[in-house]
Amino acid sequence: MSSNENKPASAQDAALEDELYKKREKLYVREVHGIWAKMRNLAMFSLLGLYYGLAWINWNGQQIVLFDLPARQFHIFGFTFWPQDFIYLSALLIIAALALFMFTALAGRLWCGYACPQTVWTEIYMWMERLVEGDSRKRKKLDNGPRDFNFYRIKTSKHLVWLVFSLWTGFTFVGYFTPIRELAESLVTFNLGPWETFWILFYGFATHGNAGFMREQVCIYMCPYARFQSAMIDRNTLMISYDPKRGEPRGTRKKGVDPKSVGKGDCIDCSLCVQVCPTGIDIRNGLQYQCIGCAACIDVCDEVMDKMGYERGLIKYTTENALEGQKTKIMRPRMFVYIGIISIVSLMLFYALLTRVPLEVDIIRDRSALFTENRQGLIENVYNLKVINMDKDDHLYTITVDGLDGIEVKGGASVEVSTGEVADLPLRVQVPPGSIKARSNEIYFNITTNDGSGIELREPARFLGPVQR
Amino acid sequence: MPTQPATSSQSDQIPAIQNLISVLWPSFLTAAAATIVFFTLFDPVQLGRLLGLELSRMAGYTGGFFAFWFLTSISCALTCYFRRPCHRVSSVDRE
Repeated sequence: MSSNENKPASAQDAALEDELYKKREKLYVREVHGIWAKMRNLAMFSLLGLYYGLAWINWNGQQIVLFDLPARQFHIFGFTFWPQDFIYLSALLIIAALALFMFTALAGRLWCGYACPQTVWTEIYMWMERLVEGDSRKRKKLDNGPRDFNFYRIKTSKHLVWLVFSLWTGFTFVGYFTPIRELAESLVTFNLGPWETFWILFYGFATHGNAGFMREQVCIYMCPYARFQSAMIDRNTLMISYDPKRGEPRGTRKKGVDPKSVGKGDCIDCSLCVQVCPTGIDIRNGLQYQCIGCAACIDVCDEVMDKMGYERGLIKYTTENALEGQKTKIMRPRMFVYIGIISIVSLMLFYALLTRVPLEVDIIRDRSALFTENRQGLIENVYNLKVINMDKDDHLYTITVDGLDGIEVKGGASVEVSTGEVADLPLRVQVPPGSIKARSNEIYFNITTNDGSGIELREPARFLGPVQR
Repeated sequence: MPTQPATSSQSDQIPAIQNLISVLWPSFLTAAAATIVFFTLFDPVQLGRLLGLELSRMAGYTGGFFAFWFLTSISCALTCYFRRPCHRVSSVDRE
């Protein structure tokens, strides 16, 4: 239990600075059951399932999500992305950021409470801790008890369980960057590369530290989002709040006593809402930046209200307007702005993905000579084409040129490029001297396929020649 | 490495671990972003060739990330260092 528990509510503001700098006290978070705990577990299982499972799913012989760093290609659901496609990633990040803002404006820190990796991994690490060390009371007793054999046996077992899970997490993480099946093969044959080994240990170590030890401190001291969330929250935002009008004055009373008859509110001051809080705050002190919106206090308070025979919802998801008896407006200008921008960026991304040509050609003019005149009297320029096949199939590309009368690629040109490969193709382009009008002329390279894939590209280039008399 | 500040007023007593976090963590975030942008633009294999090195891409990425992290953590550490109050020293100087 935290130190907050004994702190009077009025001291909270004055204590804010101390709070920021105080030495951390270990929290013994009490387990909670209820509808929101179920939602959190559901989110935890689906997200962790996705993380540990997705890496193993293959589609058309290709890992379905693979950020193949050694090959500088990202494979995502059948699409192959290259560093040149960075713009798509940027669009995706913009959408994600705006969605975060929108959901925060709508219902507070939904992300923190249900989806943030920090929360999700902390939950599963706390679950493992509970399995080994027992409930919050047992854990506290163990930590305050003697450092005997039993203590070390339990602590060692917990860390072993955590360690296995951490290493598995690190392994899965690296499995998104190098093919996970090959990685598993090299792991069981003790052939892991040094960099893979390093990143497995590094990520495993980070998971162990963040989910096992740091926990709520990551949210309080390290998370930038927690600090600027208030900019997105307004009077119409659904947030976890305690209803002071109903609850105060708080105090203990016998079961079955009408609170009004003893001059008290509905809060029986059982402090359970503090005991279940993963960040150790008291929700009854109002909105606090430490609150990650996990709704554990709602669950436990509803349970207490049921036992006391009071109405549920002393702590609940509600808006500031609703608490003050005013109307809550969900669709407000900021929501239209968020939804508008998200829709526009999504449509642009969708359109760009649909019309994306999975072919990239870099044309580099040979710089050793501006131009040469060959034996037939034609003017020649030399180019080096870098043809990058970003498609999932192999293709035979044919290259033609236009832009000047009689221009052609000497000997014709075509190149076979396998999927995901880059081909270098030196080309000589020749033009009859009569059709050259200027020192530098704009010409076009047409790169086409005739295998029915419809992939084609037209790229401009410069052709240099002698100025005609 | 940040240690317990020398001054002893109450709000200055930031635990060493939090000082360490405030240096290592923001620098980690910016280094990660810098690494992504940098290696999107440059291929470590080609960079290695320019330096006359035979680098694998994984080695390039890893080395690049830690080089960025090193630089950004220096700047964070300097910020932490200069943020410490120094009025006590200057008042002594003036007298």
